[in-house]
Amino acid sequence: MKFADREDLLGAAMLGPALAYVILLVGVPFVLAIMLSFSSATAGSLTLTWVGFHNYSTILADPIFLRALRNTAIVTIGSQVLVIVLATAAAQVFRAAFHGKRAARFVLLLPWAVPVSLAAIAWTWIFDSTFSVINWTLRVTGLLHGWLYWLGEPGLALFAIIIVQAWRIFPFATVIVLAGLSSIPQDVVEASIVDGAGFWRRLFKVELPLLLPVIAVAVLFGVVYTATDLGVVYILTGGGPANTTHVLPTLAFQRGVLGADLGQGAAIAVFLVPFLIVVAVLMLRVARRTEVGAGGIGAR
Amino acid sequence: MTRRKGMDRRQFVTTTGAAAAALALGPTILIKRPQKTLKIIQWSHFVPAYDTWFDKYAKDWGTQKGVEVTVDHISLADLTTRANAEVAAQQGHDLFQFLSPPGAFEPQVLDMADVVRDAERAHGPIIDLCKRATYNPVTHKWFGFSDNYVPDPGDYLKSIWTEIGMPDGPKTWEDLVTAGPQIKAKHPEIQIPIGIGMSQELDTNMATRAMLWSFDGSIQDADENVVLKSDQALEALRFGVRLYQAGMTPAVLSWNAASNNQALNARQTTYILNSISAYRTAQDNKLPVADDIFFVPALKGPRGTGRASEHVMGIYAIWKFAQSPDVAKQFLLELVTHNREAILASKLYNFPSFPGAAADASTALAQKPAAGNRWMEQQTSNDPFGSNPATKLKPIGTALQWATNIGHPGPANPAESEVFDTFVLPTMFANAVTGRMTPEQALDDAHKQVKTIFEKWRAKGLVAGGSKDKA
Repeated sequence: MKFADREDLLGAAMLGPALAYVILLVGVPFVLAIMLSFSSATAGSLTLTWVGFHNYSTILADPIFLRALRNTAIVTIGSQVLVIVLATAAAQVFRAAFHGKRAARFVLLLPWAVPVSLAAIAWTWIFDSTFSVINWTLRVTGLLHGWLYWLGEPGLALFAIIIVQAWRIFPFATVIVLAGLSSIPQDVVEASIVDGAGFWRRLFKVELPLLLPVIAVAVLFGVVYTATDLGVVYILTGGGPANTTHVLPTLAFQRGVLGADLGQGAAIAVFLVPFLIVVAVLMLRVARRTEVGAGGIGAR
Repeated sequence: MTRRKGMDRRQFVTTTGAAAAALALGPTILIKRPQKTLKIIQWSHFVPAYDTWFDKYAKDWGTQKGVEVTVDHISLADLTTRANAEVAAQQGHDLFQFLSPPGAFEPQVLDMADVVRDAERAHGPIIDLCKRATYNPVTHKWFGFSDNYVPDPGDYLKSIWTEIGMPDGPKTWEDLVTAGPQIKAKHPEIQIPIGIGMSQELDTNMATRAMLWSFDGSIQDADENVVLKSDQALEALRFGVRLYQAGMTPAVLSWNAASNNQALNARQTTYILNSISAYRTAQDNKLPVADDIFFVPALKGPRGTGRASEHVMGIYAIWKFAQSPDVAKQFLLELVTHNREAILASKLYNFPSFPGAAADASTALAQKPAAGNRWMEQQTSNDPFGSNPATKLKPIGTALQWATNIGHPGPANPAESEVFDTFVLPTMFANAVTGRMTPEQALDDAHKQVKTIFEKWRAKGLVAGGSKDKA
């Protein structure tokens, strides 16, 4: 029997590249990161000296790290709340028939398609503390009399980061919610209309409960994308002012790569792992729930 | 009825298998280097004309020597990341140009003592600030080779400063505090009268060091003991608070390396600390503000000390794993010989690390350094690149009197580099000026961070001192 006819071997051979890709580009760096986090490795050296939990105890006593941890949670949760609201609203709009719907859908998807770094540079100009177009518009329309230093004040800077993260993720969430909406059985919607439910009641009492598993998938993807993102915060604020807007990836980059302390940088990065494992488990559970025949939307 | 042409499973497996094998084996067949090669990586220069000159020079040099030369340019901000990647992979370029002292990479680079020695034999001594940025007195190793440094003067708008009675710009740090409210009163449209950054970026790193040194404080002493926590540093911090209140806004807390240039060229600030790049950009773009930008040397502190950091310093390193180290060293030596062309190609942005290399080639060796310095003074006193007036750059010609290295008054070492790259001083000043911490708390916080960093690098045997660290 020829190789091409042996389904067991062929299956393994075809799965092999994908598996190798995951092992080499995810598995190996992950194991390396854990090893580095227990070492005093520096950027200019290839030696790993075991230092136990020293890096972890150092960062846990560091107020900048604790602030970065808090910021990671604030940015992730804040942006996902915005994403849910925006994606649900946008999906309702795009469900309706209107002139120019295709063009509007294309525009909606643009933030998802634009590279994060390019988008963040554009947002840096929008929020620029000296030349902000938002400030300019607000002043011209008489809505602002002072000046907003978007990236120069910690609270405003975090708000700006949340806006950008939500902006880049909500198109993806919208597409998922739209797909979910189209899979809601029409007879359920019609029955609610016959029973006299208006738009809001239908939305909150019928559609959203049915969409919950789908929204959960969108949110969980968004959480992973936001919590692990380096680009937006690095380009927008660089962790400033005075280290007040760092999130874990930017602090890990600053300490590990720029500051040459690979051990500490790795320890900061590894702190995300338990959090992301919980998110991954949740994602898998939700995905299972939404499978056809497993009690999800399509199950009935 | 026509039969649809297709591919059965056997054909598919054979075809894709062959393609995959070709893809996998192709690079191993093709990567054999045909002749002597030299791979260089350096930043995309702030003055694009320099890159044009350098690329041509390198190519012509290669043609002349039978060496295939490739030059890659990357953004300044990507240099450290790229260096880390090359070290981790143990492969990359033969010549890697850093813009700040690469102390942390010392174990991975070749000792450049022979290149420095040969360059000194040809052109006279390297200037002290460049030596202190590339030589580790603990290990006695030259971990880099500097061919140029860039001064960091003050850039000011003459018309505005003339209106407040200081037509020649500020001379002391205190002048900035005096000028801030006056400029605010006369020109409310100028958002940030004094544009000293307080954020996590290159120019702020330089500015905060200049402030600290001019108030007679420093991070380390000459013997690499940590002495940041001092009355002088506290005085500098208290001054920073006054300066911020007198002439700055929270905008400076969010600046990136280009922000002060942009603010000056948009006339939204009247004084910045920077190289001449902002001015050259204004000139290149024919902005009217170009004629209004003038320069002052390092500002003096309360006891007359006036220091400023080199803005950037071109430092070439050769990795231990470089494939053509000898060719790289030969290239560097000849590059220094063409220093005069390089300086002119950079429109006087680059200054020579070996002043003698800027002298006329026929000058006797003993006279070369003085002749090179004279030539630099002539160029800056009569800018050949269209300044109005041509004497505008004259204050920069005095750079050797006030420019110093990161780590002053000691050497640039890995600990100083980490303090620099993790923005400890900008954060210290930002914490104090915004009132998040008192100056005392901000200083104490920064001092602790600096000590931890120094202790780590001392344990690796790369930094001296420790016995006289301040508590």
